[in-house]
Amino acid sequence: MKILVIEDEQGLRENITSYLNVDGNICESCSTLTTSLQKLSDYDYDCVLLDIGLPDGEGFGVLEYLSIKQKTEAVLIISARNSLDDKLKGLNIGADDYLTKPFHLAELKARLMAVYRRKAFNTSNKLVFNEISVDMQGRTVEINQTPIILTRKEYDMLLYFMANKGKVISKNAIAEHLWGDEMDMYDSFDFIYTHIKNLRRKILEVGGRDYLTSIYGMGYKFTD
Amino acid sequence: MKLSQHYTRTSVYATLTVLVIGAVIYYFAINYIGTQQLDRALQQQLTEAEEYIRSNDGNPQLYDLDRDHAVFVKTNRQLLLKRFFDTTYFNPKEQRSEAGRAVEDLVKQKDSNYKVVITVSRAGQKNLIELISIITLALLAGLLAVLFVINKYMLNGLWKPFQLTLNEIKQFNIADVDQFKGKPSKVDEFTELNEAIREMSLRVTHDYLNLKQFTENASHEMMTPLAVVTTKLDTLIQDETLSAEQLEQIADIYSSVNKSSRLNQSLLLLAKLENKLVTEEEPISLETVIETKILQFQELIEKKELTIRHTLYPRQIVASKYLVDILLNNLFSNATRHNVPGGSIIIDLNSDQLSIRNTGTANVLNRQQIFERFQKGKDSQGAGLGLTLVKNICQLYGYTIQYEYETGWHKFVVTF
Repeated sequence: MKILVIEDEQGLRENITSYLNVDGNICESCSTLTTSLQKLSDYDYDCVLLDIGLPDGEGFGVLEYLSIKQKTEAVLIISARNSLDDKLKGLNIGADDYLTKPFHLAELKARLMAVYRRKAFNTSNKLVFNEISVDMQGRTVEINQTPIILTRKEYDMLLYFMANKGKVISKNAIAEHLWGDEMDMYDSFDFIYTHIKNLRRKILEVGGRDYLTSIYGMGYKFTD
Repeated sequence: MKLSQHYTRTSVYATLTVLVIGAVIYYFAINYIGTQQLDRALQQQLTEAEEYIRSNDGNPQLYDLDRDHAVFVKTNRQLLLKRFFDTTYFNPKEQRSEAGRAVEDLVKQKDSNYKVVITVSRAGQKNLIELISIITLALLAGLLAVLFVINKYMLNGLWKPFQLTLNEIKQFNIADVDQFKGKPSKVDEFTELNEAIREMSLRVTHDYLNLKQFTENASHEMMTPLAVVTTKLDTLIQDETLSAEQLEQIADIYSSVNKSSRLNQSLLLLAKLENKLVTEEEPISLETVIETKILQFQELIEKKELTIRHTLYPRQIVASKYLVDILLNNLFSNATRHNVPGGSIIIDLNSDQLSIRNTGTANVLNRQQIFERFQKGKDSQGAGLGLTLVKNICQLYGYTIQYEYETGWHKFVVTF
């Protein structure tokens, strides 16, 4: 997957790029509207990460450019502004998703994968990792062709892990992904433990391997 | 009391005092002048009588001055001081007594002395004083009436621009786009007042906008550094050499960053609510949203072993889905978080109100303070903005939120 990160904050840009630069992904970055338009006209990308507040203009310009040139890049907006107006405006002129700062890199990756998948394979939408196969449309999971029944939270969690395989995901990131703002962090940590336990049990029961490692006090890692 | 009443009262008192003092002085002056005139007339008659007696040597009893009362009494006294005095006068024509003025003196005729008393009527003078009094009283009444009318109609008319300005100030809302205009007035003072208020309102609005912008910008600007911290931490924890102790430190940083960003979001939302910037509205079936919310909190409810009971009658409202979600989230999370293990939550929804009751600690919360910013319970993990958000969301849609306490039950009621 070829990704372009358009973000003016250097620290953020570097971290995003290095986090995404795995699994054969190619991640490029730029920090202004002008350079981003230059890059978009020269190359084709699969996904664009777009910060709305750029030093030389609003990031909406990128969306307008893409729609004029009829380019098919999936666009994920990252913005400091949690305004519904901006969100609607962005989505209306061609963005695929909208993520508000601050965000976890795991969340960013999961969302990016989701918009990419939605754009890339419109029909059969299957995510496969070794013996685990997830049908995104039917929201069903099979281990070695044996279907397992997951709760909504377990399913979301599995997808989240698969999108961020090989990475340590903090409990904070998992909690925010599963519950958003509605729950206090302290309450949700216990629930994460329960959900992980159940998910692991369900996969093991039908002969799947245990890919989940617990990182002491911090979170979990889904890895080969 | 109104200014016009103050003015009327003062002017009436002043007028009355001046007029009453004036009338008293007037009365005495006229009385004095009248008496002086009578006394001069009496003196003249007295002189005539003396001359008559001296020149004619006649019997003084026969002398009658213009049929006025002149009484001569023979006396042995050698000395009698001439004096004028008030007395009664018998009017022979009308057969009645009237107020009179008399002079008394000693008249010498050869060897015999007479005491002479000449009396005249004061009726004329009395009449004059009465007439003048009546005219004065009529003037007084007329003046008062004119004063009342002027104050009532003229003054109120004069103050009309002031009333208009005052009404406009009362309706002035800093968050409104409408500026203070002020009706033009012919009176310099009011024009000046309007001008001053207009300038003040412009200044205030400007400062307010600046502050609003500042709050928003500050909160926004804060989000990017917070994002940098979060992503740096996300990168940092990938390091496999980190010790358990270091990971614990990082976990603490995570929760602090999370708290700051939530606080920031709440502040931004509050700023938006106060500026009425949340405009998108849609019809919402509250009973459905509440049922979904109960499901969302199911895990937490089960963990605390709470029983939840609800009676939901259909109620449609037109509001922002996002805000309704925040409102319910805060009320639900309070009801669960501040509950006792094994406690209960009772939710009632009807067309008038939504009430959420929960068991909790036996101390009643401060009704006013709990809705203020940064007011939170001792064991609360939040920033203390939850109920402020609830209150502001209610205000935006014209609902009221109330807190009640009843023997172990804390109750929040939203009245539509």
